[in-house]
Amino acid sequence: MTIELTINGELRTIDCEPHELLLRVLRREGLFSVRFGSETGETGAAAVLLDGRLVSTEVMLAAQADGHVIETVEGLATPGNVHPIQQAFIDSGAMQSGYSSPAQMLAAKELLDGQPNPTEAEARDILTGVLDRETGYLRPVHAILRAGAAIRGEAVEEVSLGYVAPLTDPLFVDEGAADPATLPVLSPRVVPSPEVPETAVVGQPEPKVDALKLAKGYPAFVDDIEIRGLLHAKVLYSPHAHARIVAIDDSKARALPGVRAVLHHENVPRVRYASGGQSYPNPLPYDQVSFDNKVRYVGDRVAAVAADTPEIAAAALDFIDVTYEVLAAVFDENDAIADGAPVIHDEPDMEGAHDAARNIVHHISADTGDVDAAFETADHVFEQTLRVHQVQQAPIEPHIAISWWDSDERMVIRTSTQVPFHTRRMVAPLLGLPVKRIRIVKPRIGGGFGVKQEMLIEDIVGHLTMATGKPVRLELTREEEFISSRTRHPQTTTYKTGVNSDGRLVAQQMSIVANTGPYGTHGLTVQMVTGLRGLSSYNCPNKRFRCDVVYTNIPVPGAYRGYGAPQALFALEAHMEDIAVALDMDAIEFRRLNWTTTGDPLDIAPALGEGDVDAEVVPIITSSGLEECVAQGLRAIGWERRSDPEWRQPADRPHIRRGLGFAMCMHGTAIPGLDMGAAYIKINDDGSFNLLFGATDLGTGADTVLAQIAAEVLGVALDDILVYAADTDMTPFDTGAYASSTTYISGMAVKRAAEQARSMVVERAARMLETTPGAIDLREGRAWSTDDRSVSIAEIALSSLHQEAQHQIMGTASYVSPESPPPYAAQFAEVEVDVETGQVTVTALIMAVDCGVPINPVTASGQVEGGMIQALGYGHCEEMAYDEDGRMVNAAFGPYKIYRSDEMPRIEAFLVQTMEKSGPFGAKAVAEIPKDGVAPAIRNAVADATGARIDAIPLTPERVWRALQTV
Amino acid sequence: MIQTYHRPATLDEALGLLGSDGTAVLAGGTSLVASNAASAVVDLQDLGLDGISLDGSRVAIGAMVRLRDVVESDLVPAFLRDLARREAPSTIRNAATIGGAVATGHAESELVAGLLVYEAAITVAAGDGSTTHSLADYLEGRPRGIIIEITAATDGTAAAARTARTPADRPIVMAAARRGDNGETLLAMTGVAETPVAVDPRSLGAIDPPPDFRGTTEYRKHLADTLGARVIAELGT
Repeated sequence: MTIELTINGELRTIDCEPHELLLRVLRREGLFSVRFGSETGETGAAAVLLDGRLVSTEVMLAAQADGHVIETVEGLATPGNVHPIQQAFIDSGAMQSGYSSPAQMLAAKELLDGQPNPTEAEARDILTGVLDRETGYLRPVHAILRAGAAIRGEAVEEVSLGYVAPLTDPLFVDEGAADPATLPVLSPRVVPSPEVPETAVVGQPEPKVDALKLAKGYPAFVDDIEIRGLLHAKVLYSPHAHARIVAIDDSKARALPGVRAVLHHENVPRVRYASGGQSYPNPLPYDQVSFDNKVRYVGDRVAAVAADTPEIAAAALDFIDVTYEVLAAVFDENDAIADGAPVIHDEPDMEGAHDAARNIVHHISADTGDVDAAFETADHVFEQTLRVHQVQQAPIEPHIAISWWDSDERMVIRTSTQVPFHTRRMVAPLLGLPVKRIRIVKPRIGGGFGVKQEMLIEDIVGHLTMATGKPVRLELTREEEFISSRTRHPQTTTYKTGVNSDGRLVAQQMSIVANTGPYGTHGLTVQMVTGLRGLSSYNCPNKRFRCDVVYTNIPVPGAYRGYGAPQALFALEAHMEDIAVALDMDAIEFRRLNWTTTGDPLDIAPALGEGDVDAEVVPIITSSGLEECVAQGLRAIGWERRSDPEWRQPADRPHIRRGLGFAMCMHGTAIPGLDMGAAYIKINDDGSFNLLFGATDLGTGADTVLAQIAAEVLGVALDDILVYAADTDMTPFDTGAYASSTTYISGMAVKRAAEQARSMVVERAARMLETTPGAIDLREGRAWSTDDRSVSIAEIALSSLHQEAQHQIMGTASYVSPESPPPYAAQFAEVEVDVETGQVTVTALIMAVDCGVPINPVTASGQVEGGMIQALGYGHCEEMAYDEDGRMVNAAFGPYKIYRSDEMPRIEAFLVQTMEKSGPFGAKAVAEIPKDGVAPAIRNAVADATGARIDAIPLTPERVWRALQTV
Repeated sequence: MIQTYHRPATLDEALGLLGSDGTAVLAGGTSLVASNAASAVVDLQDLGLDGISLDGSRVAIGAMVRLRDVVESDLVPAFLRDLARREAPSTIRNAATIGGAVATGHAESELVAGLLVYEAAITVAAGDGSTTHSLADYLEGRPRGIIIEITAATDGTAAAARTARTPADRPIVMAAARRGDNGETLLAMTGVAETPVAVDPRSLGAIDPPPDFRGTTEYRKHLADTLGARVIAELGT
């Protein structure tokens, strides 16, 4: 059929099919800012304005839009210009990945077109249609209000740093310090340290280097390209939790016109691998193949089809006849190791499981001191069993990959990945290609959170391109993303802790049964991090870690931001809280007696590390701002209200109890002795620099932070650094975006490469200014001599490239760290509990984080704000639920609940500076620690409010109600 | 998969198109398009059916009125406007219609529960003329045809109570109560049956809610008791 759409002012006549979604038609028309998020429409990534109103094009037929007027972000401003809404989103730090930012900006436009002076509640309401997994909504909401002010012609102030005076350093005087309650919402709250030197670009709230392309909705993501002859792939997933494929008949599918290939275990080579994107050699077990003759969960791969259209590919799946022998399945980790449990991996060629016949993938143990002897003599011994559940990362951009043969007959895979270099190395043997014939390109990606630290679908598109000779595209639906990608490991944890009467820990044992689902990807290392975090946050002379990682038939756990630490910290901080209460001690004082600080040893770390580190050398903590974090958090949350009965039990709402909770958090920074990042930098004629690195920005702002580091070293402005990243043909190696490593590891590589280039710049400047290199200082884009003469970096570039003793000013460096300095944080939560129904409402989350020196306080604040809200989902409302056959019953947003803009608690992040000498300009990690403390803090707040001490999450109404029945 | 798209200009034309199997009425499309269940659709957007007016003491809302316009209408009781806002996020509210919400009759629809206590009546057009049904009867019998109008009372006072995982989540159980100017109290609930249902305040114990992962039957019964008592109490005696 033919429809007429007026798109951004231009009338277009378009051919389309009656079933086609408006989303698909608009993208075909080149409007790449309209992006897929879910087949049921709630993500809003695909929202446009239809006759001025924000609608989701994922649940609207193109035919419905016939005759209507459509606006997209492409129409907001011409090249060279920026609409006030776009400017406000850039200035506010409202964009992380930017995947859904065009939709949020259109929401802003609808609101501001009708009401130029909206309230915050109205801004929150219009944003309900665009789910955001990244920012916690704080910055998008205030970007809308800021845009409104700009459109009304009011002066809008620059988003500046909000300096907050330290509370634990009475000698510190900073005249610029403010009461945090008076600071603008968008100002990042920075608590300065006198040890931190002044910098020009580092430490400043610079706009993201990719902000313009994201704000304008330019083609930037995996799917934002057009390729002639592209085939569309669909995967047939197992309907059974555990079954053998007795027979598979693909003849009817192959006979379907438009089907180009059908792949399954009978026609794809059987090559063993582990899918986790990790360094060589990948940790065992090697328990996967591209297509197997057995399926081990509902959502496991059975076959893949490539066809001329997505509809034909989908239809072909129905024509593949599969005969299954259904086997007994097991879902709970404790049941899986019971006698008589079904054996999930019984194939003879599986490699590297501890005891496959008993479903035990790994048995991990680590010890310090003599735990048993210490339990004997301890004044008190406490034992507690806790359970954490399965959740999904749910990036708004699902997995997507496009593969093709290039003109050298090399395989190019453009993919939404956190680990391009690992993916290249890992996919090569599956495809039977040498690494040199594969190129992986990571463009902008729409969030990852660990789910893309995986070689997940790249082998499928690669196999299909090899089978057909044609380019192939595979994009997971939202349902497929839930059931067939990766999730967080559930665990059952028992803590046993010996404490003396003075409150000091004398022995601590952590015993875990961890559920790694049907495949062991990340199963070893996630659980090692659980042990490390669960047993090194507090000092204790005798520690024991025991963990069985076991196979079950649930969808596959893998990497999820936090990587074992959120599981550990929930159990640990619930346990520590309850011990304090049992000992009648103040819960924070009890922790303070025991928590680690500068100079303390991380004594169990050598036994639970995966890198190449000396097992004899116990790492020592080199910086901690925890005391200041706690002090800032106590003030911001209003901790004194814990002892105010009128606040705790409001007179006008008899069924409500209020409470406050706390959790301390400690995380790692990169994997010592293993994670490696590299960078290359070169000067251009005008004194700008190309900076190339393999590090993988998922929306976190990594590209920006790394460019700030280079700009600081070279004394130039941030816009003189041009970033190109994460392309295995073009950039140096990097392990990828995981383990909170990019700022610290890749940042140090960038710093060193920039320092090499700097020394060449300085040498050339000395020659031009007829002085010595030692007398040259670089700042503001110029090289200055001590007597105040100067030459611009551009003149230096021209001299060295064209005029005299020509050479390329450049630098290249790589970095691996022997250390992993822990960031610390204090997490506070305020809740209201309806004691008649068990409903918990989280009303405030405050987190103060010591991430060393935040290189960019706006992006660091954004990491904390958004990370806390993901963590709130983990502790409060998100869960993967199954029927008795292991089918997920809530594989859609809505039933799987992620927080929306109009139901947010008050959130506030503080960045407490410490000077971490081993990090670039003093930086430690910030990306993952926000995931660690929210679940235990709200759990402890519920306990404070009601006395109910709940040993499992999420704190959904029925669970809390049942717990309240036993108080 | 949808193979045929119709956009009739008149109601008669629309009714004529509805005869064959697999042909579905398309209002906003936010549920139907995602469900991919129909082979042909009849889009009602050109039929008008999008006005809101007062008809005596009742408000008459055209079936194609978008939820967003229900939210913004001064003619609709504030209680129902708030439930229309809670029904869906902004993007969906701008497309989804009140007729679609009624036709879908989603078990968790707070708006449908609110319409039940506001004594909503549903006018359905079919080939042999139009008929009007109480909302409860409509949900029970699902008469064939095209919903063209929903009317609701505007008098009295109403209260809602709900228990949900988060403040904007669809409630596990929600109770809506209204006392009309005639003094009669009506109660309706979501989350206790296959659709939102009217409940007799004196026999709350008789309900038998189907369980799901958010709430067992036992818990839902408890919520029905608790929330039912709350809304009745809030209306006063």
